[in-house]
Amino acid sequence: MTFIPGLGIVKGMASTLRRFFEPKATIKYPEQTPDQSPRFRGRLQLLYDEWGTLKCETCFQCAQACPIECIDMGGVDTKGRYHVHWGPPETYGERREESALRRSGRTVPDRAYERFESIDLVAVDEILDENDHDPKRMLQILEGIQDAYGYLPVAAIKRISFKTGAWYAFIYGTASYYRHLRFERPADAVQVAAVDQHRPSEEAYVARLDAALRGSRRRARKVH
Amino acid sequence: MTTLLRTPTAWPSVLLRRDRAGRGRGRAGGLLADPAAALDAAVASGAFEGLKRAVRELGPDGTIAAVASSRLRGRGGAGFPTGEKWRAAAAVEAPRRYVVANGYGADPSAFTDRVLLESDPFAVLEGLAIAAFAIGATEAFIAVRAEDAEMVRRLEAAVGAAEEAAFLGPDLLGSGRDVTVIVRPVQGAYMLGEETVLLKALEGRRGQPEQRPPFPTERGLFGMPTVVQNVQTLAAVPWIVVNGAAAYAKIGSKASPGTILVQVRGPARDGVAEVPLGVPLRDVVALGGSPGSGRKLKAVLVGGPSGGLLPPELLDTPYEFDALRAVGAHVGSGSIVAADDRACVVDLARLLTTFCANEACGKSIPCRIGTRRLVEIADRAVEGRPMPTDVQLLEDTSADIVASGLCDHERLATLPLASGMRYFRSELDDHLLRSSCPAGVCRPIAVAAGATAAGAAK
Repeated sequence: MTFIPGLGIVKGMASTLRRFFEPKATIKYPEQTPDQSPRFRGRLQLLYDEWGTLKCETCFQCAQACPIECIDMGGVDTKGRYHVHWGPPETYGERREESALRRSGRTVPDRAYERFESIDLVAVDEILDENDHDPKRMLQILEGIQDAYGYLPVAAIKRISFKTGAWYAFIYGTASYYRHLRFERPADAVQVAAVDQHRPSEEAYVARLDAALRGSRRRARKVH
Repeated sequence: MTTLLRTPTAWPSVLLRRDRAGRGRGRAGGLLADPAAALDAAVASGAFEGLKRAVRELGPDGTIAAVASSRLRGRGGAGFPTGEKWRAAAAVEAPRRYVVANGYGADPSAFTDRVLLESDPFAVLEGLAIAAFAIGATEAFIAVRAEDAEMVRRLEAAVGAAEEAAFLGPDLLGSGRDVTVIVRPVQGAYMLGEETVLLKALEGRRGQPEQRPPFPTERGLFGMPTVVQNVQTLAAVPWIVVNGAAAYAKIGSKASPGTILVQVRGPARDGVAEVPLGVPLRDVVALGGSPGSGRKLKAVLVGGPSGGLLPPELLDTPYEFDALRAVGAHVGSGSIVAADDRACVVDLARLLTTFCANEACGKSIPCRIGTRRLVEIADRAVEGRPMPTDVQLLEDTSADIVASGLCDHERLATLPLASGMRYFRSELDDHLLRSSCPAGVCRPIAVAAGATAAGAAK
């Protein structure tokens, strides 16, 4: 075997040169994304810790979050007392439960937006008819509904929005501006009082002005 | 029947007494029972003469020229020349034009507009018809307080009677022009006194002011040229048209002629009076009586909740738009409140600023947050725990609000504290630097000043 000095490096460089003109496998990751299924989350694998026990605590978070519901698992709880299971029966019941949704990072439906009390809408329709379904007469419509129901129910505002084509936010914005329009049922005395605290009436202003002119802050204090 | 503003030479005037709910005497008799008869009585005493003259002799341009040469200024508080406003609205090319009479009377302690609408609704309607005729408006709105249900009914009856007699409605007095008058009761916000806010309310929207320009004369109600006038301004127009601009210009002061309604709240009496513009403030305050024995006048609040607090030394200031602005007050709602030495100026300014801050609509940041900061400074002063920077902060914040405000509400909301600081500096300093209240109204935090022994002895 003849030894030709430098042959090794030439072979090596030849390989480098060949690779140099081949298509590259490296991608510029954040700019380019690899061609993967959008739901690919990596390989499913249970990991072991350094003492050889399973790291999985059977918390089912992965099973609850799994979008295609492919994880079916069972085991014992962390104290070794009960056998726990996660499979289709649990999946369909519990993954829609509120804390499960929150743990799996999904949006939790808000009670305030989810549903509103349904009311008899006949009066609303009559008031809308009287006002030609005209959003320019929104104040008269809202005042009429307040007269009929005693307050402005969410269902009524939705109905106005649906029938007149005015945005819900537009109607809400108008209704929340004027002092005489309210969303609280008169029966909810606590709520009404809480709102009124932040809406000082004109009579209160006049009374306070009178008191200030008499300098009667002092007298009121002396009572205590 | 009291004819306010229709005979603008009556001075010294009498106070029309009102009870605290705003109900008063001096109403046009029997208007609700028999509107037609009430209208006939009003016509017999000269109502709608101005409208006839405007339609039959002057024509639209002549009417605007007459109003302009009388130098009548808007009674809503800002004092904008009425003739100029009408001319601007008439000059804009538009398919429709509107006239809006602002009879809301936002100040809860002033009843001037309500008194006028009750005592002489036909004068307002006539002025409204003349304005609509002059600028070519087809629809006219009267915005009034919905709380006063009886006044709304009376006004509607008056409009109905005037339409029957063809003073309003289609083919106004045979001129070929239509003027439909709509009474629109509004309520629920102090800001409705501001013209663009009122227009928003008439459009059924949230009441927040618009940036100007474009002024409402260019783009107002429903995007059309709109003239917004206080009811007092409109009630003054018929007299001008009948008696001529030169006669009107002789009444009152040179820069702002005519008379105006004021709400005087004095130690002895309170009520609504008609005064010529330009009379010394002293004479207006005197209508409310003099303070009781042993007391003396301390401050005069001119202009309603956002008015200025003026000291007795400035009582010779003429009561008119420019002079009051120069001394740090304004005509505003026409309210004049006399405070004697029982009241504490800082406490009063705090009360007024708090009201203005609570009523802020929240659209512009200097208003929403700036007035809140002013209230906090005033609160600290009243409660006797001031910060060393408060005087400077008050000056800076007021200046910033005035410089960057969107509407007049916030610019004027600085007036109570600003004028208080200008004229009652020693009293403010007592609060801010020495934590004491000379009037003894505010709770003096004697502890802060280190006088615990005196406080404990009490």
